[in-house]
Amino acid sequence: MRTRDLTGDTAEVVRTPTTERSPVRQATKMQVNDLAVWYGETQALHGVSMDVLENEVTALIGPSGCGKSTFLRCLNRMNDLIQDVRIEGEVTFDGDNIYAPHVDVVELRAHIGMVFQKPNPFPKSIYENIAYAPKILGQVRKRTDMDELVEHSLKRAGLWDEVKDRLQAPGLTLSGGQQQRLCIARAIAVNPSVLLMDEPCSALDPVATATVEQLIDELKDNYTIVIVTHNLQQAARVAGYTAFFHLGEIVEFSDTDSLFTHPREKKTEDYITGRYG
Amino acid sequence: MLVFFGGLLPLATVAYVMGRRKALVADARGDRLHSLPGQYGVYVATWMALPAIAIGVVAAGAALLGVQVPAAPFVLIFALVGAAVGGAMALRRVEPGLRARNAIEKFVYWTLFTASLVSILTTLGIILSIVFEALKFFNQVSVWHFITGTNWSPVAQFRPDQQTAESQFGSVPLFAGTFMISAIAMLVAIPIGVLSAVYMSEYAPYRVRTIAKPLLEILAGIPTVVYGFFAAITVSPLVVDVAALFGLNASYTNALAPGLVMGIMIIPFISSLSDDVINSIPNSLREGAYALGSTRSETIKNIVLPAAFPGIMAASLLGVSRALGETMIVVMAAGLRPNLTWNPLEDMTTVTVRIVDGLTGDQAFDSPETLAAFALGLVLFVVTLTLNLVSIIVIRKFRQSYE
Amino acid sequence: MTDRISLTPSRHLKKRYRAEKRFKACCIGALVLAMAFLVLFFTDMIRQGYSAFYETQIRAEVTYNEDTVEFAMDSVSEEVFPLVSRAFFRGVPRQVENNPDLMDTTQTQWLTAKADVDQYLKGHSESLDPEMKASLEQLQADGDVGYGFNTGLFFSGDSKIPSNAGLWSAFVGTFYLMLVVLAISFPIGVATAIYLEEFAPDNRFTQAIEININNLAAVPSILFGLLGLAIFINFFGVPRSSALAGGLTLSLMTLPVIIISTRAALKAVPQNIRQGAQAVGASRWQAVRDHVLPLALPGILTGTIIGIAQAIGETAPLLLIGMIAYIPDAPGNLTDAATVLPAQIFTWAGMPERAYVSLTAAGILVLLSLLIVLNATAVILRNRFERRW
Ligand SMILES: Nc1ncnc2c1ncn2[C@@H]1O[C@H](COP(=O)(O)OP(=O)(O)O)[C@@H](O)[C@H]1O
Ligand SMILES: [Mg+2]
Repeated sequence: MRTRDLTGDTAEVVRTPTTERSPVRQATKMQVNDLAVWYGETQALHGVSMDVLENEVTALIGPSGCGKSTFLRCLNRMNDLIQDVRIEGEVTFDGDNIYAPHVDVVELRAHIGMVFQKPNPFPKSIYENIAYAPKILGQVRKRTDMDELVEHSLKRAGLWDEVKDRLQAPGLTLSGGQQQRLCIARAIAVNPSVLLMDEPCSALDPVATATVEQLIDELKDNYTIVIVTHNLQQAARVAGYTAFFHLGEIVEFSDTDSLFTHPREKKTEDYITGRYG
Repeated sequence: MLVFFGGLLPLATVAYVMGRRKALVADARGDRLHSLPGQYGVYVATWMALPAIAIGVVAAGAALLGVQVPAAPFVLIFALVGAAVGGAMALRRVEPGLRARNAIEKFVYWTLFTASLVSILTTLGIILSIVFEALKFFNQVSVWHFITGTNWSPVAQFRPDQQTAESQFGSVPLFAGTFMISAIAMLVAIPIGVLSAVYMSEYAPYRVRTIAKPLLEILAGIPTVVYGFFAAITVSPLVVDVAALFGLNASYTNALAPGLVMGIMIIPFISSLSDDVINSIPNSLREGAYALGSTRSETIKNIVLPAAFPGIMAASLLGVSRALGETMIVVMAAGLRPNLTWNPLEDMTTVTVRIVDGLTGDQAFDSPETLAAFALGLVLFVVTLTLNLVSIIVIRKFRQSYE
Repeated sequence: MTDRISLTPSRHLKKRYRAEKRFKACCIGALVLAMAFLVLFFTDMIRQGYSAFYETQIRAEVTYNEDTVEFAMDSVSEEVFPLVSRAFFRGVPRQVENNPDLMDTTQTQWLTAKADVDQYLKGHSESLDPEMKASLEQLQADGDVGYGFNTGLFFSGDSKIPSNAGLWSAFVGTFYLMLVVLAISFPIGVATAIYLEEFAPDNRFTQAIEININNLAAVPSILFGLLGLAIFINFFGVPRSSALAGGLTLSLMTLPVIIISTRAALKAVPQNIRQGAQAVGASRWQAVRDHVLPLALPGILTGTIIGIAQAIGETAPLLLIGMIAYIPDAPGNLTDAATVLPAQIFTWAGMPERAYVSLTAAGILVLLSLLIVLNATAVILRNRFERRW
């Protein structure tokens, strides 16, 4: 689709990364076609299209209020929960349109995990935080299997060593960074194939941020990750591809290196060099 | 009284005008005033009204206490003199440097502070009024007998010197009745109250919510005497009829009817408090659960309700406190006969019924039955106070944890 | 990758959806049940009470002369006499006194029927004395039996004669009580709230006052009755059964309601209004008086009305301070023995005659209407002036 003409140049189609990072063309995990979102009367997304590549980290950057979260929440239909929201366009997941009538949101969300801006552990024990979803989804029934899954998920989230002696302690007693990793562990415990992260480090201190970033780097071999971030360095560090959002549209979408070194749009350049007003 | 205040008003006005005039004169002379001219007026008027009111209040209080006081005109004159002296002294003090505004400010502060003591005095008043009479009662009847006795049969005593040998004051059957009826009420109120709160805060479309909420509040606004009539006239016979269908024999003053009606009365308390509590659970918790693939009811049952549990518990305790202290419904629909039974279809009586019964008869005020009412009141106060305090503190903690 | 993920509901998920449906049905059921109680309650009250708003009347020739003033029973014919409310005969001398022209005339009048007759015709009771029944049927055939609005329900005081009993003295008592409650609890309540919200330091003592107020709001009302009895009546000697004693007691109950709602209203006024006022040199009290209070006023009034409405419906403490006395005449001042609407309802509910059941229900309908009007005023006030910052 066409993005809005911001620069006065001829607008062009931005849907797949404009440059490729590696010679190996990866499979497309999710595809967004002409997505438009209204909150009541105000339009938050103006026909956005984008491909999300499998086992890659895709970062969404842009000034606040430009629709990054809105976009992300359309990928697992979290926006359905908001009243007066109207969504048009198509989002496919492994080729299926997730907004098709036969698709079940609950089923869908079990396959597309999400980590939020503010850590939101349930007011339960650390163990229960992770065991909750596999239990209700009927994935794990035996106690020993569950113990194993909890341990595995915590290990993947790099939290095991810190909490293995106090699994029954409330999740809320952990530090902010630990809580966020607990939320990541909770999300991967149900074995999703996509992980959506909405500014997962914005509430964390630099040390905790570094830990989470390292975790993201490890997870990308098995998961397709879409991450919203305010922090350009973070996008540069963790993401293979980056999309720049502005006023509800994608201005530029390319592999991270090119976006940061040779932005093709003036707006992008202004934003990444901090000249953005 | 009317004369008193009627006279004070013009006097205060005069004082105000004089104070203001003096300040204005000073102002005209070119002296810098510390405060606005009007504030000097208020200052003088206040100093004038205060002694007068104080004298009036003291006189009225003394009269009520039965102390010999001079006749009303003398009191009036006293008050006037006090007012004149106070006013004159204040007027003398009016000069540009006087911090009239700060004085007023201080006066306002202490007035407000005094007002806030009234609520403390109320609690003290309740405690004192109950404790003294209850102590008199426990001088006559042993505490042990009162708490553990299973036979409550006071013999009406119309003169203080009458013999009271046959009177029995074992309160167990009264508490049994109170707890039976309260338990029935809570069995009705907690599930209905909590579930309708869940529906309204988690499921209901906005429109339904705006209609259902005020309708439920109507239930809370119905006076208890009305519920009592409803229980006695409509629900009790209904219970008897339904029991008869099952071949059971129910008394017309059975414990079930007042229990059910009391439950209806308490529904809105529980639902509106629970509604507040559920609404204060941050949305991020719900989103976290949905994002993992929970259905709505799983989110509610596994995440929202456990998180809200302390608050809902507190709401229920407040409900229990209300049920224990509810009077009109049981006075009108429950029995008078102390009865120790597990069968809610029999008639049972409650603590509050016996309090009313003990204090509305013709017994001498010092008769044990009258004093027993205060002893029961003391127990009721202690129990409800404990419940209230626990729930108030839990709710405060809960609010803080989600702020 | 593994095999394709299906996004249609699995068997397990379908089971979960059934649980979802069950749970939602329970929630809806609870609300519907609560609403059903409400409907049942109101239909029951209206069913029981509507008939007390009209009364059976009998047209009869009334003779006024020296004899009938003395023996009023002779003023109507022998057949009519047993059917007419005794209250009428009691009033004959007064009628003549008020209107001397009546003397030595015969008037055709519609007279209030006796409660037995009234109840019989309204179908509330099956039985009627056979002789009375016969004369009643005769009168009906002649078209001398009719129905009229029961003005006595509103304009006469309590009476042991059911056809003559009304709510007037209770109205007056309720009005006095309201005055006392308003005069005491409004200023003290608002002052306390202002102190706590605007002036109080955040220390232990303040917290104690707060907890104490919240507790007072939940103390069983009957305990306030014990306080009223022991302190106001026995200690201070306020006359028993008086509107003053009742009002003082209920003021203390209303106080926490007003304090809590006033605090909420004050809290809703944004902080920058206070800071703005103080920035231009207003003192703390001036800022509150001139800027905060006017903005909070609708909320304060709403809370006050709700508190007053609660006080009007309260009965239990009034029983203990003797406000269930039989009060046929409206009290003339605050210290006269008085009754109030809910107490009148309670008294009537305890009467053995069938006619009092309808009267009680009618009294309830009147009380509920009054409360609904008050609460509706509060809601309108709130919606009208509610402001969101
Ligand atoms: N729930 C909502 N209701 C109404 N408007 C919303 C809602 N969420 C977001 N918006 C609006 O949509 C636009 C995009 O918001 P968002 O996607 O949160 O931006 P970002 O995450 O990039 O900061 C903003 O203008 C915001 O005000
Ligand atoms: Mg965002």
